Amino acid sequence: MTSPALTVRTITPDEHLALLRTQRSASFLQTPAWGQVKSEWRRESLGWFDGGRLVGAGLVLYRQLPKVKRYLAYLPEGPVIDWSSEQLGDWLTPMTAHLKRKGAFGVRIGPPVVTRRWSADAVKQGVADEGVTRLGEVPPTERSPQGARVVSQLQELGWRPQAVEGGFAAGQPQFNFQIPLRHRDGEQAGEPRTEDELLKGMNQQWRRNIKKAAKAGVEVSQGAEQDLKAFHDLYVHTAERDHFTPRPLSYFETMFRALNAEEPDRIKLFLGRHEGDLVAATILVRVGGHTWYSYGASSTEKRDVRGSNAVQWAMIQDALAAGADVYDLRGITDTLDPDDSHVGLIQFKVGTGGEAVEYAGEWDLPLRPLLYKAFSLYMARRGR
Amino acid sequence: MSLSLYVDGDRWRAHLDHVRDTRPAIVPVVKGNGYGFGIPRLAGEAARLGLDTVAVGMYEEVGPARGSFPGDVMVLTPWRPFDRAALFAPHVIHTVGRLEDLEALAARTDGPRVVLERMTSMRRHGFSASGLREAGELLAGTPGSPRPERVGVEGVALHLPISSGSHLTEVERLMTDVVAADLPTRRIFVSHLTDAETALLRQRYPDYEFRPRIGTDLWLGERGALRVRATVLDVHPVERGDVFGYRSRTAPKAGHILIVSGGTAHGIGLEAPTGGATLKDRAARVAKGGLDAAGFVRSPYTIGGKLRLFAEPPHMQASMLFLPHGAPVPEVGDEVEVRVRFTATSFDATVIS
Repeated sequence: MTSPALTVRTITPDEHLALLRTQRSASFLQTPAWGQVKSEWRRESLGWFDGGRLVGAGLVLYRQLPKVKRYLAYLPEGPVIDWSSEQLGDWLTPMTAHLKRKGAFGVRIGPPVVTRRWSADAVKQGVADEGVTRLGEVPPTERSPQGARVVSQLQELGWRPQAVEGGFAAGQPQFNFQIPLRHRDGEQAGEPRTEDELLKGMNQQWRRNIKKAAKAGVEVSQGAEQDLKAFHDLYVHTAERDHFTPRPLSYFETMFRALNAEEPDRIKLFLGRHEGDLVAATILVRVGGHTWYSYGASSTEKRDVRGSNAVQWAMIQDALAAGADVYDLRGITDTLDPDDSHVGLIQFKVGTGGEAVEYAGEWDLPLRPLLYKAFSLYMARRGR
Repeated sequence: MSLSLYVDGDRWRAHLDHVRDTRPAIVPVVKGNGYGFGIPRLAGEAARLGLDTVAVGMYEEVGPARGSFPGDVMVLTPWRPFDRAALFAPHVIHTVGRLEDLEALAARTDGPRVVLERMTSMRRHGFSASGLREAGELLAGTPGSPRPERVGVEGVALHLPISSGSHLTEVERLMTDVVAADLPTRRIFVSHLTDAETALLRQRYPDYEFRPRIGTDLWLGERGALRVRATVLDVHPVERGDVFGYRSRTAPKAGHILIVSGGTAHGIGLEAPTGGATLKDRAARVAKGGLDAAGFVRSPYTIGGKLRLFAEPPHMQASMLFLPHGAPVPEVGDEVEVRVRFTATSFDATVIS
């Protein structure tokens, strides 16, 4: 599988990109462009070499410890290496040695590896069952031995799992909701699903809303960079309504420019209009066969024209047409408690007929124990 | 004339029924001296309780268990190729903890049933995390090679240490190793988890079946139903300075020498090192050592509500006690209470009311 003599060194963004292009799936948080979006942190493209051949890559974000020139080396949803390896140490050890030389007091990774999946039906039953309050209490439709193998090896190698809640910016979501765009088993395994099949997988409300939007005359179009302003206005409105802190327009402009420069179809803006009024707007990101719905906004008025369902369906259709494998609706919490406000978000996503997916989560390896401890204390205090 | 275990049968059996009803899917352990009851009796009780599997410690114990239990018998000591007593039969479930042993069992033609043991922090027997993954690969068969379907995998065993802290972190880690091994089983045999821990585990792994292996809490969980008594065989008054015993000791003061049933052959006076390592435990041991130096060792025999002193080290089948002047003196034929460690005592008679 892997030779024990893997080496790690800095590579150029071009080399980094070339490696990503050979991958069917890699997180957009691991693209060189994402490093440009997160411009407040020092960044580095890392390459794994088997002899002279580039076999893995990672985007490292160096987050500085206050007042000290030491860093947490963070590889969000990465690195992009052979996670099926039985010798993960061969991959991770040269990486941590390199990062330590670069001044890291600790490393945080997010193996892009699925550990459990739950079908939409299983999630629905969990919500309906009064005795169940967490997704983990529902028998998973699939428990991935490969994911467990990664977790098991990380434990053997001394890495520490990070709690999903709290901690450094709460990290990336461990639970996500995804719609598989290809058949997974049976005779058609690997074949793309049709639009009809995807619609049939959705619940009645979703299908009805998509139809309703079309009937009401909602038109979905793709926007260019200059349309980001319109998106952002609606997004700020959404943030006020749903009580979250919006990012500035410049953040989206940087993201749009950087990701677009990397690949023509990496980022797309979808705008849903009804009689000229913008009722919903969303951002789609794609790397290889993986497509993400990453930001969304919707108007409070004209909710009955179902603009949100219309833009979602347009994005799903776009992903399907582009030959993607997965349409990813990103994070959900693991609560199935009907009294929890987050359950509404899950129910919206579950209606698409996809599946809840648990990833291995984020893992830390302290390289300088004292500084790492100081950092953990600092974060715990900041988190309060 | 014997060291006897008296059991309040109704109370004892009510406790056994209660454990069976409140702790689902238990596998009773009936190994060793049968917790003082003997393996055949416990196996018979397991049959009465309607359970499908019992666990024994060694292959030598399969026969005695099977004599009064019609179900499966799991052997807890991992199978080794050099175990001459190893028994292969449809009702025997073997424990395996090494890859080479699994390979050897898979090479047999009679389809042995096995439980794969994952080593815990106890570090006694079992596969490491990567060893269990290799076992999983062996059982799945490499592509192109025939699948060794001759081994029936009954489950994975986790034998946790007895500790006051929570086992959950460790069990979660071990369960991840189990999932990673991709085994053809979803059954886990666990020992020494609290009911709350088992319940939480069942909640977090609703797609797995957990079967607690249970011994002490089952058979000895209702101590009030159990009484151990020895018979007073002889009573001799002594004055200060009188000589007695194998070792011709002299009486330190006036009193009585009592000869009671129960000696080293029963396990009386033989002590396994106690598990306790607290300061209090150690202080108690030092105090006992002090008595020992003066020729006074506390015995497990109770007379007049007090634990009495050994007059000299226990004999093979009887013990000599020293009863100081003023203490109530029992008569020959009376029975006196004895405190014993059930797993280290063999009784001459077990009387179940």
